[in-house]
Amino acid sequence: MIELIKITKRYGSIIANDEVCLKVDKGELLTLLGPSGCGKTTTLRCITGHCPPDYGEIFIEGKNVTTLPPNKRKVGMVFQNFALFPHMTVFENIYFPLKIRGMNTKEAADRVYETLNLVQLSGYESHYPRQLSGGQQQRVGLARALVYQPKILLLDEPLSNLDAKFREEMRFEIKELQRRLGITAIYVTHDQEEALALSDKIAIMKEGRIHQVGTPEEIFEKPKTIFVATFIGLSNIIEGAVSAIDPVTLDIGSNLKLTLLYRKEIKIGEKLRVLIRPNDVEFLTDEGEEKHNIFEGTIARVTYLGNKMDYLVDLPSRLVIRVQTDLTSRHNPGDKVKVHLPVNKCKILS
Amino acid sequence: MRYTKKILIITFLLCFAIFIISPFLIIVVTSFAKGWFGKQWLPQEWTFDWYHWAFQVANVGAILKNSLIIAALAIGMSLFIGLSTAWAIARRPIPGKEILYSIILLPRMIPPITYALGISNIFYRLNLIDTHLGVALAHVTLCLPFGILILSSTFEGLDQRLIEAAEVCGASRWRTFFHVILPLVMPGILAAIIFTFTTSYNEFTLTIMTYGPHTVTLPVKTYLVIGDGYWEVASAISSILLIPSLIVLIVILRSLKPEKIVGGFKGI
Repeated sequence: MIELIKITKRYGSIIANDEVCLKVDKGELLTLLGPSGCGKTTTLRCITGHCPPDYGEIFIEGKNVTTLPPNKRKVGMVFQNFALFPHMTVFENIYFPLKIRGMNTKEAADRVYETLNLVQLSGYESHYPRQLSGGQQQRVGLARALVYQPKILLLDEPLSNLDAKFREEMRFEIKELQRRLGITAIYVTHDQEEALALSDKIAIMKEGRIHQVGTPEEIFEKPKTIFVATFIGLSNIIEGAVSAIDPVTLDIGSNLKLTLLYRKEIKIGEKLRVLIRPNDVEFLTDEGEEKHNIFEGTIARVTYLGNKMDYLVDLPSRLVIRVQTDLTSRHNPGDKVKVHLPVNKCKILS
Repeated sequence: MRYTKKILIITFLLCFAIFIISPFLIIVVTSFAKGWFGKQWLPQEWTFDWYHWAFQVANVGAILKNSLIIAALAIGMSLFIGLSTAWAIARRPIPGKEILYSIILLPRMIPPITYALGISNIFYRLNLIDTHLGVALAHVTLCLPFGILILSSTFEGLDQRLIEAAEVCGASRWRTFFHVILPLVMPGILAAIIFTFTTSYNEFTLTIMTYGPHTVTLPVKTYLVIGDGYWEVASAISSILLIPSLIVLIVILRSLKPEKIVGGFKGI
């Protein structure tokens, strides 16, 4: 278990971490997700002890480690550039943490072979890191971080230096290993797909602040802020003022009205932002039963994406809606279409 | 056509090689020659006499010892100053690094004789003239600039993340230093040592301004013997001078493989 309480770190006038609070339960994998320069690596370095926070406290397994030096913290770390010791063989690299701990040679060697087996690198023990591929090097990095059975595993963009094809395979391997060992893990990445696939919980960071913490479903389906909504997945953001309460109606300009699900705290005149994902928007071909939120527009751009179609639709009032559909509905640029924004898919952002 | 090109290239390279090697060759042959005058291709007679002279009369044994002691002292002092300076330049945020660099390199930018005058002036007052320490100290002014350049680029190449990785693995500062940092920067330190050795061992100008009867070095002795008119003995001394340099050259070629000089994988 690991807990960060109001971690604040400044570099001159730049605030890298602004009162970051996080709690990762035992055996859980939390992803710190955000654009580069958002402070995720700083947070990780606070946990390893390489960058002591200006304020705040860090607890690992209930023990306050805020002032402990890095070598006393009992965390394992996997680095983006692998950070393997180039002058040591694979065996020596993995053996290193055990040697430092003065472990019995025989027992230590057994443990190294066991860990090598775990990351499927048996037989490579006498290779040097430069003789291995990127993926193999990262497995060595993983083995080195796991061999001394730390309580916490930190991963700093471990897959971003690997080939795209290999990345996905490795992703599941890491997840599987983490689950099997029941180790508490913090995973830093800027790749949202990776975060959604791997995490028990995701923490979205921007400019040193944590915007939202939640399960992948919560983050994707109930984003709390505009940043979270636009950062995870594709999104249409529609702005307007509330013009009626029952049903909740949003005036989005040019006499267009958007109907929303009822919510208690909404007041007339209030400005709201509404999120709808491109794959939730539908094209209407025939006018069946009456529906809310049907707008007429013109197709502005068509992109073929192989497994789906991607459209930009110009609505009146300079509103542009992005729509993604399956391949069965085909339209051409300039076509007049009717788009339907289902009421239950329009989410109000705070 | 292809053969003509090949022959031309080989001829050119051979000429170049002869141009480089011939001075050494002439010195070595002279040191074994008796009665080699005028337009003769080879000496009339071969002899070891000049080496005998060199050791008996010119006392080369003691002089070689001087040279090696001075070089060793110069290496020690250069490393002591160079390692800490280079580390600070390479790995600490220091304002005005470029200015610092140019000050450090200054001794290599001006003729040694100009500041050798200043050095000898001060050394006379401090009684450092004709001491091994004094001559070595004078050599340090020349050894240090490039030494710092070599060491600081080695330290810059050292990946900070490797140090952090070692610490996360549980290594204290000392263990990180001995197990990770030292093995990675060793080739750079070795290069600096070799460079310092050859500089000090071959240095003439600064030695001639600071030496005395007890601190004659091989290059100075060679000069003095030539001045006395013993061309063959000077050749013999020069040949002896070559031996440690050749050993150093072999060490360089053996141990300084380019891939070893890289201090870790920097930012793949």
